[in-house]
Amino acid sequence: MLELRDLHAYYGASHVVQGIDLSVGPGEAVGLMGRNGVGKTTTLKAIMGLEARTRGQILFDGADVAGLPSHVRAGRGLGYVPEERAVFPQMTVEENVRIGALIHRPRDVRGCLDAAYELFPILAERRGQLAGTLSGGQQKMLSLARGLALRPKLLLVDEPTEGLMPANVALIGAALARATQLGVAVLVVDASFDLVAETCSRLYAMDRGVLTGMFRPGEFSGPDELAARYLGAVGA
Amino acid sequence: MDGQVVLQLLNGLVVGSSLALVASGLALLFGVLHVINFAQGDFFMLGAYAVWFLLRVTHNYVLSVVAGTLLVGIAGGLLLSLVVWPLLRRSQVWTLLATLGLSLIVEQVATNVLGGDAKLVDAPLAVPVSVGPVNYPLYFLVVVVVGLGVLLAGSFALKYTKYGIWLRAVAQNRPMAAALGVPVPRVFVLAFVVCAGLAALAGGLLVPLTAVYPTVGADVILYAFIVVVAGGMGNLRGAALIAILVGEVQSLGSLVAKPSVVTIALFALVIVILMVRARQQKVVVRL
Repeated sequence: MLELRDLHAYYGASHVVQGIDLSVGPGEAVGLMGRNGVGKTTTLKAIMGLEARTRGQILFDGADVAGLPSHVRAGRGLGYVPEERAVFPQMTVEENVRIGALIHRPRDVRGCLDAAYELFPILAERRGQLAGTLSGGQQKMLSLARGLALRPKLLLVDEPTEGLMPANVALIGAALARATQLGVAVLVVDASFDLVAETCSRLYAMDRGVLTGMFRPGEFSGPDELAARYLGAVGA
Repeated sequence: MDGQVVLQLLNGLVVGSSLALVASGLALLFGVLHVINFAQGDFFMLGAYAVWFLLRVTHNYVLSVVAGTLLVGIAGGLLLSLVVWPLLRRSQVWTLLATLGLSLIVEQVATNVLGGDAKLVDAPLAVPVSVGPVNYPLYFLVVVVVGLGVLLAGSFALKYTKYGIWLRAVAQNRPMAAALGVPVPRVFVLAFVVCAGLAALAGGLLVPLTAVYPTVGADVILYAFIVVVAGGMGNLRGAALIAILVGEVQSLGSLVAKPSVVTIALFALVIVILMVRARQQKVVVRL
């Protein structure tokens, strides 16, 4: 479904992602792990066509989408949930969820919204509330619900549990698991070993702009072992 | 209530509602693209010329206003796209100067082609209706209703329609909107067309009151900018309310002072509003 071939990404003169090869199959959940600043977020933004300048191939459903505008990539089935909450603060919860759903036919929009609300019932209760007034955890949920309402074939998820309480981490994990059950492929960046270990079938390790290994969650007993082998001295 | 006061109140509503149309277009374009459009007054002028011309062909006022608004809205929107689009990644000064240049060109072309004289258009519905102690031309009441109705419909469209929601999303976070599949270039063109169309509609509605000549938009654009700045850049509801206020201050002020004094008082009022708003300036498209 997604295949990166020798992908490079740059911010100005900085060569952040230095030639990575990565794949995600249909309905598969894959994790991308590494310390802060090694290029994980830039990789996701490069796939989505946001900000970073790129070189290399980004094959999605067999076609190279590198060079296409972000909205065209989204139209082809790429969804993106950013690290920062990036909700539209002056719009209601429902309007936030509708933005992506509206690219579908009018008769399908309601179904997109209902599917998103099913994963996060709290958002349904607050559908008329301005998104900017939600708590941090609820904004994270909204960001994920909004990405799923697009009905993507592949969802790129950046640090979905950062700064969340354990109860909310479990909710996010359950939502990602449910998404994969429904056939949505997921490429997730997260510092929480437990979340990626439970959700993903494969994990890539990244360090200083390159991938340092690919493994399965069961190969490690915990984050310390993973960090020692693939991610340098600092824990994942 | 005194007849003169009622009369000026109604005049203020007519001017204010038309000004609100022009200013809303400016506010929308600034909210979505952060573009300050100096050519907005010229779309007002072109809308008025379009009605003057189409009226001679169709002899139907409603048809002339509708067709003139659509023609100028689409042509003006495409013209703005052509001029502004290549400069969107540059500083705001570039787009500001580009629209100023466009304004000068459109005015000069209008002068060369149509002459500098004022073209007069008779108001339809010249029947007076009784409003309290005064008889007021029905057409100008229709102008108020149409102007406010269009603004209300626009507000509804921004809130509930697909492109309305997308316009607001692009105004708040353009990259994120694009990542959610919002066709940003199409939204930009829509903003350009709506911006030009609102000014053209105001020009077409007001032409029986103002007549039309190449610089008729100059006064309008000055007041429209005052309205947009005071109402909050990108704030459509604020712009509409301030436009009505400006219209009323101008009209009612003429009962007690010379026009120049009223204008100075108006500027003073705007400065006060700006001082109050200074702490909460944030650019978003609000309803």
